[in-house]
Amino acid sequence: MEALLKAPLTSRVYEVGDFAAAQELYHSNGWTDGLPVVPPTRDAVDACLDWALMSPDQLIGIEPVRAQPITAEKLAINAVMAGCLPMHFPVVATAWQAMMKDEFLLHGVTSSTGGCAILVIINGPIRLEIGASGSFNALANSDRATAVIGRALRLALINLLDVRPGGIDRSTLGHPGKFSYCVAEDEEGTTWAPLSVARGIPQGLSAVTVMAAMAPRQIMNEWTTDPREILETFAAEMRANQRHYSIYGGNYAIVVPSQLREHIERAGWSKRNVAEFIYERARIRRAEWAEVGKGAIVRDRGERIHAALESPDHLLVIAAGGPAGGFGAVIPPWMGSRTKAVTAAIGACIDCEPPQGKGERRS
Amino acid sequence: MILRVLDPTNEKKAPRVQPAARPSSLAGGTVGFISNGKEGTRGYFAQLERMLREELRVKSVVWRTKSNYSAPADAHIVDEIRNWQAVVTGVGD
Repeated sequence: MEALLKAPLTSRVYEVGDFAAAQELYHSNGWTDGLPVVPPTRDAVDACLDWALMSPDQLIGIEPVRAQPITAEKLAINAVMAGCLPMHFPVVATAWQAMMKDEFLLHGVTSSTGGCAILVIINGPIRLEIGASGSFNALANSDRATAVIGRALRLALINLLDVRPGGIDRSTLGHPGKFSYCVAEDEEGTTWAPLSVARGIPQGLSAVTVMAAMAPRQIMNEWTTDPREILETFAAEMRANQRHYSIYGGNYAIVVPSQLREHIERAGWSKRNVAEFIYERARIRRAEWAEVGKGAIVRDRGERIHAALESPDHLLVIAAGGPAGGFGAVIPPWMGSRTKAVTAAIGACIDCEPPQGKGERRS
Repeated sequence: MILRVLDPTNEKKAPRVQPAARPSSLAGGTVGFISNGKEGTRGYFAQLERMLREELRVKSVVWRTKSNYSAPADAHIVDEIRNWQAVVTGVGD
């Protein structure tokens, strides 16, 4: 009965002789990120849609600037190409819904010379169901799930919105996160509330947060147990980013590994305490730009103070990383506050009225 | 073994916008500049204004700046375009 009611796939079908021919078809048409892709067959795409209980023609959203509709079928094709299993697809679909919210400014994020990538942070029980790890190598090739989910976002940008280098994508440099940039929070390894909960999603729900993000800047401090000293190192890296990249405030993320979290949590500091400390410490005088070769635009505003965060709410504190090592990361925003990170619950209607106004959060 | 694989692109393209008629002359007309607000636009548009006035006898040049350099022009700026014979926009990195 279900099969009778379901709309058929409508994408054009290509017949190729074998796996290698499929690769050449996709590469020669500019449909890849340069790496091999999984050939998207009807069965594989149907399996993704069935898992997510989506009809092929279900509208995931409409890209706000160029009015491009994004359907579940097309998104699933790109997810399969990226290597996604059906159980990964709900994360991909929800991330895309979040990306198409006006405040994310998807067109600017994907077309800017600034060259950011889209960072995805996964929270909630779905992490364990799909094997998304927030432990060893958390920001890189930590596991299959985060690798393919991050890649699926990029392939869909390329194929559904023409975000190709030199096309819509005008990045001067870009960074490696544009292949895949996805991390699961290590919720089992921390006493802190999950990022999604801090951003208004009810405890126990799975969620994704998307952020227009530059490459991670690693910090290291293994010589103190004082939360203030540990966090001062993070704040200093944010100040460095303000000096060398963009002085303007926006959504920063910090990734705090187990070894550093242990000291901060033992001292009784919550994520909110961390954010408030960083908010106060991560700020510079505009005159500092003159010290790094940018004196031409200091003008008469040298004494103006620029905070890296417009408020403590704008810091995304992520618990992730292997069990040993005092290595954390600061992930700067693409360009100030012109884009806002968006958090959305997986399996929830993003445009529906959330329970008690807590279904989604942007800041 | 034949593999049947699917097109990953957005086959349903948004309708293309019909471009306005091209002006045959700008003499005596008004040209609008829409800057993305970056530093580099100032010198570029200043030079362009001189050229338009001196070489193409443009009567007036209107400067407008987007409130967000990575977003489309604000609605009130777009509304003004109907009063101009031509518009120049671009990035100023």
